[in-house]
Amino acid sequence: MHALIETVAKAAIILGFALGPAVANAGAAADIPEPQGLWIGAMHGQTPKMLNGAVVVDLAAIEALMAEKPLLLDVGPAAHKPQDFPSDRPWLPIHRSIPNAIWMPGAGAAPLDAGREELFYRRIEELTHGDKTKPIVVFCRPECWGGWNAGKRLVTKGYTSVRWFPAGTDGWQDKRETTEVKPDTEWIAEPTR
Amino acid sequence: MKILPLVLWVALIGAAPAQKLVAADSATTDDDRAVRWKTIAESVFGDRKIEPTETLIRLDAPQRAQDAALMPVTLIMPEKDKIKSVYLVIDDNPSPLAAHLTFGPAADPGLLQLRVRVDTYTNVHAVAETRDGRLFGTVVFVKASGGCSAPVASTDEEAMKGMGEMRMKFTQGAAPGKPIQATLMIRHPNFNGMQMNQLTRNYTPPRYVDKLSVSYGDSKIFDLDADISLSTNPVITFSFVPAGQGPVKVVASDTMNGRWEQSFDMPATTN
Repeated sequence: MHALIETVAKAAIILGFALGPAVANAGAAADIPEPQGLWIGAMHGQTPKMLNGAVVVDLAAIEALMAEKPLLLDVGPAAHKPQDFPSDRPWLPIHRSIPNAIWMPGAGAAPLDAGREELFYRRIEELTHGDKTKPIVVFCRPECWGGWNAGKRLVTKGYTSVRWFPAGTDGWQDKRETTEVKPDTEWIAEPTR
Repeated sequence: MKILPLVLWVALIGAAPAQKLVAADSATTDDDRAVRWKTIAESVFGDRKIEPTETLIRLDAPQRAQDAALMPVTLIMPEKDKIKSVYLVIDDNPSPLAAHLTFGPAADPGLLQLRVRVDTYTNVHAVAETRDGRLFGTVVFVKASGGCSAPVASTDEEAMKGMGEMRMKFTQGAAPGKPIQATLMIRHPNFNGMQMNQLTRNYTPPRYVDKLSVSYGDSKIFDLDADISLSTNPVITFSFVPAGQGPVKVVASDTMNGRWEQSFDMPATTN
Protein backbone atom coordinates (compact mmCIF):
# COMPACT_ATOMS: atom_id res chain seq x y z
CA MET A 1 0.00 0.00 0.00
CA HIS A 2 2.65 2.52 0.99
CA ALA A 3 4.59 1.73 -2.17
CA LEU A 4 1.60 2.86 -4.18
CA ILE A 5 1.30 6.04 -2.16
CA GLU A 6 4.98 6.74 -2.72
CA THR A 7 4.64 6.15 -6.45
CA VAL A 8 1.68 8.46 -6.76
CA ALA A 9 3.38 11.07 -4.63
CA LYS A 10 6.56 10.86 -6.68
CA ALA A 11 4.55 11.26 -9.87
CA ALA A 12 2.94 14.31 -8.32
CA ILE A 13 6.35 15.74 -7.50
CA ILE A 14 7.60 15.17 -11.04
CA LEU A 15 4.52 16.67 -12.66
CA GLY A 16 4.58 19.63 -10.31
CA PHE A 17 1.95 21.54 -8.44
CA ALA A 18 -0.64 21.57 -11.23
CA LEU A 19 -1.42 17.90 -10.80
CA GLY A 20 -1.49 18.07 -7.01
CA PRO A 21 -5.17 18.90 -6.58
CA ALA A 22 -6.14 16.49 -9.38
CA VAL A 23 -4.43 13.62 -7.59
CA ALA A 24 -6.02 14.61 -4.32
CA ASN A 25 -9.45 14.75 -5.92
CA ALA A 26 -9.11 11.40 -7.65
CA GLY A 27 -10.21 9.46 -4.57
CA ALA A 28 -13.46 9.36 -2.61
CA ALA A 29 -15.73 12.38 -2.36
CA ALA A 30 -14.76 12.82 1.28
CA ASP A 31 -11.15 13.50 0.30
CA ILE A 32 -9.89 16.79 1.59
CA PRO A 33 -8.20 18.81 -1.13
CA GLU A 34 -4.75 20.17 -0.46
CA PRO A 35 -4.76 23.88 0.29
CA GLN A 36 -2.50 25.96 -1.94
CA GLY A 37 -0.41 27.15 0.96
CA LEU A 38 -0.48 26.42 4.66
CA TRP A 39 -3.74 25.40 6.26
CA ILE A 40 -4.88 28.23 8.53
CA GLY A 41 -8.19 26.72 9.66
CA ALA A 42 -8.80 24.58 12.75
CA MET A 43 -5.71 22.51 13.51
CA HIS A 44 -7.64 19.41 14.50
CA GLY A 45 -9.53 17.75 11.67
CA GLN A 46 -9.38 15.51 8.66
CA THR A 47 -6.32 16.16 6.52
CA PRO A 48 -5.63 15.53 2.82
CA LYS A 49 -4.29 12.14 1.84
CA MET A 50 -1.42 13.82 0.07
CA LEU A 51 1.20 16.45 0.61
CA ASN A 52 2.48 17.66 -2.70
CA GLY A 53 6.27 17.55 -2.77
CA ALA A 54 6.46 15.08 0.09
CA VAL A 55 5.98 11.34 0.31
CA VAL A 56 3.18 10.04 2.50
CA VAL A 57 4.50 7.15 4.61
CA ASP A 58 3.18 4.47 6.90
CA LEU A 59 4.90 2.65 9.73
CA ALA A 60 6.61 0.10 7.48
CA ALA A 61 8.00 2.85 5.25
CA ILE A 62 9.45 4.69 8.25
CA GLU A 63 11.09 1.55 9.52
CA ALA A 64 12.56 0.90 6.10
CA LEU A 65 13.91 4.43 6.18
CA MET A 66 15.51 4.15 9.63
CA ALA A 67 18.84 2.92 8.20
CA GLU A 68 19.23 6.31 6.55
CA LYS A 69 18.90 7.96 9.96
CA PRO A 70 16.14 10.37 9.04
CA LEU A 71 15.35 13.41 11.10
CA LEU A 72 12.22 12.40 13.02
CA LEU A 73 10.31 15.60 13.56
CA ASP A 74 7.36 15.52 15.95
CA VAL A 75 5.24 18.69 15.91
CA GLY A 76 2.51 17.33 18.18
CA PRO A 77 1.01 19.76 20.66
CA ALA A 78 2.23 20.07 24.23
CA ALA A 79 -0.38 19.61 26.96
CA HIS A 80 -1.82 22.97 27.85
CA LYS A 81 -1.81 23.48 31.61
CA PRO A 82 -5.36 24.49 32.58
CA GLN A 83 -5.62 27.92 34.15
CA ASP A 84 -6.04 27.88 37.95
CA PHE A 85 -4.93 24.27 38.08
CA PRO A 86 -4.94 23.31 41.79
CA SER A 87 -1.45 23.68 43.22
CA ASP A 88 -1.86 20.61 45.43
CA ARG A 89 -2.45 18.29 42.47
CA PRO A 90 0.34 16.78 40.43
CA TRP A 91 0.76 18.34 36.97
CA LEU A 92 3.17 16.01 35.23
CA PRO A 93 2.80 16.25 31.46
CA ILE A 94 4.65 13.60 29.50
CA HIS A 95 5.12 13.31 25.75
CA ARG A 96 5.84 9.93 24.24
CA SER A 97 7.06 9.70 20.68
CA ILE A 98 9.09 7.71 18.21
CA PRO A 99 12.46 7.04 19.86
CA ASN A 100 15.01 9.76 19.04
CA ALA A 101 12.40 12.13 17.66
CA ILE A 102 12.99 15.85 17.88
CA TRP A 103 9.88 17.41 19.38
CA MET A 104 8.94 20.93 18.41
CA PRO A 105 5.45 21.35 19.84
CA GLY A 106 3.24 23.63 17.78
CA ALA A 107 5.73 24.01 14.90
CA GLY A 108 2.93 23.23 12.46
CA ALA A 109 0.69 26.04 13.62
CA ALA A 110 -0.36 28.60 11.02
CA PRO A 111 -0.07 31.44 10.94
CA LEU A 112 3.11 31.29 12.97
CA ASP A 113 4.83 34.36 14.34
CA ALA A 114 7.56 35.38 11.85
CA GLY A 115 10.30 34.93 14.44
CA ARG A 116 9.05 31.46 15.34
CA GLU A 117 8.89 30.44 11.70
CA GLU A 118 12.46 31.65 11.22
CA LEU A 119 13.55 29.71 14.29
CA PHE A 120 11.85 26.60 12.92
CA TYR A 121 13.76 26.85 9.64
CA ARG A 122 17.01 27.53 11.46
CA ARG A 123 16.57 24.51 13.73
CA ILE A 124 15.82 22.25 10.78
CA GLU A 125 18.88 23.59 9.00
CA GLU A 126 20.98 22.82 12.08
CA LEU A 127 19.47 19.38 12.57
CA THR A 128 20.02 18.43 8.93
CA HIS A 129 23.47 20.07 8.85
CA GLY A 130 22.31 22.13 5.92
CA ASP A 131 21.65 19.05 3.81
CA LYS A 132 18.37 19.65 2.02
CA THR A 133 18.30 16.07 0.74
CA LYS A 134 18.36 14.58 4.26
CA PRO A 135 15.25 12.47 4.86
CA ILE A 136 12.87 14.15 7.30
CA VAL A 137 9.84 12.35 8.70
CA VAL A 138 7.34 14.87 9.96
CA PHE A 139 4.42 13.83 12.15
CA CYS A 140 1.95 14.81 14.84
CA ARG A 141 -1.13 13.07 16.14
CA PRO A 142 -3.67 11.76 13.64
CA GLU A 143 -6.06 14.32 12.14
CA CYS A 144 -3.56 17.04 12.86
CA TRP A 145 -2.99 19.77 10.32
CA GLY A 146 0.15 20.72 12.23
CA GLY A 147 2.00 17.76 10.75
CA TRP A 148 0.80 18.59 7.26
CA ASN A 149 1.74 22.26 7.66
CA ALA A 150 5.20 21.49 9.00
CA GLY A 151 5.78 19.21 6.02
CA LYS A 152 4.48 21.91 3.70
CA ARG A 153 6.90 24.43 5.22
CA LEU A 154 9.82 22.09 4.61
CA VAL A 155 8.80 21.32 1.04
CA THR A 156 8.36 25.01 0.32
CA LYS A 157 11.79 25.70 1.82
CA GLY A 158 13.34 23.29 -0.67
CA TYR A 159 13.77 20.10 1.36
CA THR A 160 13.60 17.27 -1.14
CA SER A 161 13.18 14.15 1.04
CA VAL A 162 10.24 15.10 3.20
CA ARG A 163 8.09 12.23 4.48
CA TRP A 164 4.76 12.90 6.11
CA PHE A 165 3.49 10.24 8.53
CA PRO A 166 -0.19 11.10 9.03
CA ALA A 167 -0.82 8.26 11.51
CA GLY A 168 1.66 10.04 13.76
CA THR A 169 2.45 9.12 17.34
CA ASP A 170 -0.74 7.03 17.57
CA GLY A 171 0.24 5.03 14.51
CA TRP A 172 3.62 4.39 16.05
CA GLN A 173 2.56 3.57 19.61
CA ASP A 174 -0.03 1.14 18.35
CA LYS A 175 2.70 -1.17 17.06
CA ARG A 176 5.99 -0.02 18.53
CA GLU A 177 7.49 1.18 21.77
CA THR A 178 7.63 4.87 22.41
CA THR A 179 10.02 6.84 24.56
CA GLU A 180 9.48 10.00 26.48
CA VAL A 181 10.84 13.00 24.62
CA LYS A 182 11.36 16.52 25.91
CA PRO A 183 10.70 19.55 23.72
CA ASP A 184 13.65 20.69 21.63
CA THR A 185 15.49 23.06 23.96
CA GLU A 186 16.23 25.66 21.28
CA TRP A 187 12.63 25.59 20.12
CA ILE A 188 11.19 26.25 23.57
CA ALA A 189 14.01 28.54 24.75
CA GLU A 190 12.26 31.46 23.10
CA PRO A 191 8.83 32.19 24.50
CA THR A 192 5.96 30.72 22.56
CA ARG A 193 3.67 33.42 21.42
CA MET B 1 19.34 34.20 17.27
CA LYS B 2 22.34 32.12 18.09
CA ILE B 3 23.80 29.01 16.56
CA LEU B 4 24.35 26.07 18.87
CA PRO B 5 28.06 25.95 19.79
CA LEU B 6 30.10 23.34 17.97
CA VAL B 7 31.00 21.58 21.22
CA LEU B 8 27.35 21.01 21.99
CA TRP B 9 26.79 19.70 18.51
CA VAL B 10 29.51 17.15 18.86
CA ALA B 11 27.95 16.08 22.16
CA LEU B 12 24.51 15.77 20.60
CA ILE B 13 25.68 13.81 17.60
CA GLY B 14 27.78 11.61 19.82
CA ALA B 15 24.83 10.91 22.09
CA ALA B 16 22.42 9.91 19.34
CA PRO B 17 23.56 6.31 18.70
CA ALA B 18 23.60 5.54 22.42
CA GLN B 19 20.05 6.81 22.76
CA LYS B 20 18.99 4.61 19.91
CA LEU B 21 20.40 1.52 21.57
CA VAL B 22 18.48 2.27 24.73
CA ALA B 23 15.24 2.91 22.88
CA ALA B 24 15.47 -0.32 20.92
CA ASP B 25 15.21 -2.31 24.12
CA SER B 26 11.55 -2.75 24.97
CA ALA B 27 12.35 -3.68 28.56
CA THR B 28 13.57 -0.12 28.91
CA THR B 29 10.12 1.16 28.04
CA ASP B 30 8.70 -0.88 30.88
CA ASP B 31 11.36 0.64 33.13
CA ASP B 32 10.32 4.05 31.81
CA ARG B 33 6.77 3.37 32.87
CA ALA B 34 7.89 2.11 36.26
CA VAL B 35 9.89 5.29 36.80
CA ARG B 36 6.88 7.34 35.76
CA TRP B 37 4.67 5.51 38.25
CA LYS B 38 7.23 6.02 41.01
CA THR B 39 7.21 9.78 40.35
CA ILE B 40 3.42 9.92 40.46
CA ALA B 41 3.14 7.68 43.51
CA GLU B 42 5.61 9.87 45.43
CA SER B 43 3.66 12.94 44.46
CA VAL B 44 0.29 11.50 45.50
CA PHE B 45 1.15 9.15 48.35
CA GLY B 46 4.45 10.52 49.63
CA ASP B 47 6.56 7.76 51.15
CA ARG B 48 3.62 5.43 51.84
CA LYS B 49 4.24 1.96 50.52
CA ILE B 50 1.90 0.57 47.87
CA GLU B 51 1.66 -3.18 48.06
CA PRO B 52 0.68 -5.30 45.08
CA THR B 53 -2.58 -7.20 45.33
CA GLU B 54 -4.47 -9.80 43.36
CA THR B 55 -7.48 -9.84 45.62
CA LEU B 56 -8.19 -6.49 47.25
CA ILE B 57 -8.72 -4.50 44.11
CA ARG B 58 -9.09 -5.33 40.44
CA LEU B 59 -9.25 -2.95 37.54
CA ASP B 60 -11.23 -3.61 34.38
CA ALA B 61 -10.84 -1.38 31.36
CA PRO B 62 -11.12 -2.06 27.64
CA GLN B 63 -7.68 -2.86 26.24
CA ARG B 64 -8.57 -0.62 23.35
CA ALA B 65 -11.02 2.17 24.07
CA GLN B 66 -13.56 3.07 21.41
CA ASP B 67 -13.59 6.67 22.55
CA ALA B 68 -10.60 7.99 24.49
CA ALA B 69 -12.75 10.78 25.91
CA LEU B 70 -15.21 8.29 27.41
CA MET B 71 -13.32 5.25 28.57
CA PRO B 72 -15.16 3.17 31.15
CA VAL B 73 -13.11 1.98 34.10
CA THR B 74 -14.46 -0.56 36.58
CA LEU B 75 -12.99 -1.10 40.02
CA ILE B 76 -13.83 -4.34 41.74
CA MET B 77 -13.12 -4.74 45.44
CA PRO B 78 -14.36 -8.14 46.62
CA GLU B 79 -13.24 -7.72 50.24
CA LYS B 80 -15.32 -4.63 50.43
CA ASP B 81 -15.51 -4.27 54.18
CA LYS B 82 -11.78 -3.61 54.30
CA ILE B 83 -11.86 -0.70 51.87
CA LYS B 84 -11.83 2.88 53.07
CA SER B 85 -11.06 4.76 49.89
CA VAL B 86 -9.80 4.28 46.36
CA TYR B 87 -7.57 6.31 44.03
CA LEU B 88 -7.66 6.17 40.25
CA VAL B 89 -4.51 7.23 38.45
CA ILE B 90 -4.04 7.52 34.68
CA ASP B 91 -0.26 7.53 34.54
CA ASP B 92 0.39 9.38 31.32
CA ASN B 93 -2.36 11.95 31.57
CA PRO B 94 -0.79 15.33 32.28
CA SER B 95 -2.82 15.41 35.47
CA PRO B 96 -2.51 11.76 36.48
CA LEU B 97 -4.70 11.67 39.58
CA ALA B 98 -8.18 11.26 38.12
CA ALA B 99 -10.24 10.58 41.22
CA HIS B 100 -10.13 9.83 44.91
CA LEU B 101 -13.28 8.32 46.31
CA THR B 102 -13.90 7.81 50.02
CA PHE B 103 -16.61 5.40 51.06
CA GLY B 104 -19.10 6.15 53.83
CA PRO B 105 -21.09 3.83 56.12
CA ALA B 106 -23.89 3.32 53.58
CA ALA B 107 -21.52 2.27 50.81
CA ASP B 108 -21.06 -1.16 49.35
CA PRO B 109 -17.53 -0.68 47.98
CA GLY B 110 -17.58 -3.88 45.95
CA LEU B 111 -17.97 -2.14 42.61
CA LEU B 112 -17.37 1.26 41.16
CA GLN B 113 -17.45 2.45 37.58
CA LEU B 114 -16.33 5.76 36.13
CA ARG B 115 -15.76 7.20 32.68
CA VAL B 116 -12.46 8.90 32.06
CA ARG B 117 -10.41 10.74 29.45
CA VAL B 118 -7.18 9.14 28.32
CA ASP B 119 -4.50 11.21 26.61
CA THR B 120 -2.20 8.50 25.30
CA TYR B 121 -1.53 4.77 25.58
CA THR B 122 -0.90 4.41 29.27
CA ASN B 123 -0.86 2.40 32.43
CA VAL B 124 -3.88 2.96 34.65
CA HIS B 125 -3.44 2.34 38.36
CA ALA B 126 -6.07 1.82 41.02
CA VAL B 127 -4.93 2.06 44.62
CA ALA B 128 -7.18 0.94 47.44
CA GLU B 129 -6.69 2.30 50.93
CA THR B 130 -7.77 -0.13 53.60
CA ARG B 131 -9.37 0.82 56.89
CA ASP B 132 -6.12 0.02 58.66
CA GLY B 133 -4.35 2.59 56.46
CA ARG B 134 -2.47 0.36 54.04
CA LEU B 135 -2.34 0.91 50.30
CA PHE B 136 -2.80 -1.79 47.70
CA GLY B 137 -2.36 -1.19 43.99
CA THR B 138 -3.16 -2.80 40.68
CA VAL B 139 -2.49 -1.80 37.09
CA VAL B 140 -3.71 -2.29 33.52
CA PHE B 141 -2.38 -0.96 30.24
CA VAL B 142 -4.91 0.73 27.96
CA LYS B 143 -4.74 1.73 24.33
CA ALA B 144 -6.57 5.01 23.97
CA SER B 145 -5.39 8.35 22.79
CA GLY B 146 -6.49 11.94 22.33
CA GLY B 147 -9.17 12.05 25.02
CA CYS B 148 -7.82 15.08 26.84
CA SER B 149 -7.88 17.54 23.95
CA ALA B 150 -11.00 16.22 22.22
CA PRO B 151 -13.58 19.02 21.89
CA VAL B 152 -16.68 18.58 24.07
CA ALA B 153 -19.25 19.83 21.57
CA SER B 154 -19.45 22.04 18.53
CA THR B 155 -19.77 25.11 20.74
CA ASP B 156 -19.10 25.75 24.42
CA GLU B 157 -22.64 27.10 24.83
CA GLU B 158 -24.08 23.86 23.52
CA ALA B 159 -21.83 21.87 25.86
CA MET B 160 -23.12 23.84 28.84
CA LYS B 161 -26.84 23.35 28.13
CA GLY B 162 -28.65 21.88 31.11
CA MET B 163 -25.50 21.95 33.24
CA GLY B 164 -26.10 20.32 36.60
CA GLU B 165 -29.09 18.22 35.59
CA MET B 166 -28.92 14.77 37.12
CA ARG B 167 -30.48 11.41 36.60
CA MET B 168 -30.17 8.23 38.59
CA LYS B 169 -30.87 4.74 37.47
CA PHE B 170 -31.26 1.89 39.94
CA THR B 171 -30.37 -1.43 38.45
CA GLN B 172 -32.29 -3.67 40.82
CA GLY B 173 -35.37 -3.38 42.93
CA ALA B 174 -34.67 -2.55 46.54
CA ALA B 175 -34.79 -5.09 49.29
CA PRO B 176 -34.19 -4.04 52.88
CA GLY B 177 -30.60 -4.54 53.94
CA LYS B 178 -29.48 -5.78 50.51
CA PRO B 179 -27.01 -3.85 48.35
CA ILE B 180 -28.38 -2.00 45.37
CA GLN B 181 -26.53 -0.64 42.38
CA ALA B 182 -27.12 2.85 41.08
CA THR B 183 -25.82 4.86 38.16
CA LEU B 184 -25.63 8.61 38.52
CA MET B 185 -25.45 10.79 35.43
CA ILE B 186 -24.68 14.49 35.68
CA ARG B 187 -24.94 16.82 32.75
CA HIS B 188 -21.78 18.89 32.81
CA PRO B 189 -19.23 19.73 30.09
CA ASN B 190 -16.36 19.07 32.50
CA PHE B 191 -14.14 21.40 30.50
CA ASN B 192 -10.61 20.41 31.42
CA GLY B 193 -8.89 23.58 30.22
CA MET B 194 -6.99 21.63 27.55
CA GLN B 195 -9.66 21.74 24.88
CA MET B 196 -9.17 24.36 22.19
CA ASN B 197 -12.12 26.17 20.74
CA GLN B 198 -11.62 25.36 17.08
CA LEU B 199 -13.00 28.72 15.95
CA THR B 200 -11.35 31.16 18.33
CA ARG B 201 -8.20 29.05 18.90
CA ASN B 202 -8.49 29.86 22.58
CA TYR B 203 -8.51 27.22 25.25
CA THR B 204 -11.93 26.89 26.81
CA PRO B 205 -11.41 27.77 30.48
CA PRO B 206 -11.55 24.79 32.82
CA ARG B 207 -14.82 24.11 34.55
CA TYR B 208 -15.32 20.66 35.96
CA VAL B 209 -17.10 18.82 38.74
CA ASP B 210 -14.51 18.53 41.49
CA LYS B 211 -16.65 17.43 44.43
CA LEU B 212 -19.44 14.95 44.56
CA SER B 213 -21.15 13.75 47.69
CA VAL B 214 -23.78 11.02 47.71
CA SER B 215 -25.77 9.95 50.77
CA TYR B 216 -28.68 7.71 51.64
CA GLY B 217 -30.80 9.51 54.20
CA ASP B 218 -28.31 10.76 56.77
CA SER B 219 -25.76 8.12 55.93
CA LYS B 220 -22.90 8.85 53.53
CA ILE B 221 -22.38 6.58 50.55
CA PHE B 222 -19.26 8.28 49.18
CA ASP B 223 -17.37 11.52 48.70
CA LEU B 224 -15.55 11.98 45.43
CA ASP B 225 -12.66 14.32 44.77
CA ALA B 226 -12.51 14.48 41.01
CA ASP B 227 -10.11 15.90 38.51
CA ILE B 228 -10.09 17.04 34.88
CA SER B 229 -9.77 13.46 33.68
CA LEU B 230 -13.42 12.62 34.31
CA SER B 231 -15.40 12.63 31.07
CA THR B 232 -17.93 15.14 29.89
CA ASN B 233 -21.33 14.37 31.48
CA PRO B 234 -19.83 12.33 34.32
CA VAL B 235 -21.34 8.92 34.91
CA ILE B 236 -20.62 6.95 38.04
CA THR B 237 -21.95 3.56 38.98
CA PHE B 238 -21.78 2.62 42.64
CA SER B 239 -23.41 0.35 45.09
CA PHE B 240 -24.91 0.97 48.51
CA VAL B 241 -26.96 -0.67 51.23
CA PRO B 242 -30.20 1.16 51.90
CA ALA B 243 -31.04 1.17 55.56
CA GLY B 244 -33.69 3.37 57.11
CA GLN B 245 -35.18 6.31 55.32
CA GLY B 246 -34.01 7.49 51.91
CA PRO B 247 -33.86 9.24 49.58
CA VAL B 248 -30.52 9.15 47.80
CA LYS B 249 -29.17 12.66 47.88
CA VAL B 250 -26.50 14.00 45.55
CA VAL B 251 -24.57 17.23 46.02
CA ALA B 252 -22.24 18.17 43.18
CA SER B 253 -20.07 21.23 42.88
CA ASP B 254 -17.69 22.47 40.23
CA THR B 255 -14.60 24.64 40.03
CA MET B 256 -16.60 27.75 39.07
CA ASN B 257 -18.73 27.69 42.23
CA GLY B 258 -21.56 25.82 40.56
CA ARG B 259 -23.51 23.75 43.08
CA TRP B 260 -26.31 21.33 42.39
CA GLU B 261 -28.38 19.20 44.71
CA GLN B 262 -30.89 16.56 43.86
CA SER B 263 -32.70 13.73 45.65
CA PHE B 264 -33.82 10.46 44.15
CA ASP B 265 -36.42 8.13 45.53
CA MET B 266 -35.69 4.46 45.55
CA PRO B 267 -37.69 2.22 43.26
CA ALA B 268 -40.45 0.22 44.92
CA THR B 269 -39.40 -2.75 47.01
CA THR B 270 -39.50 -6.03 45.15
CA ASN B 271 -40.64 -9.16 46.87
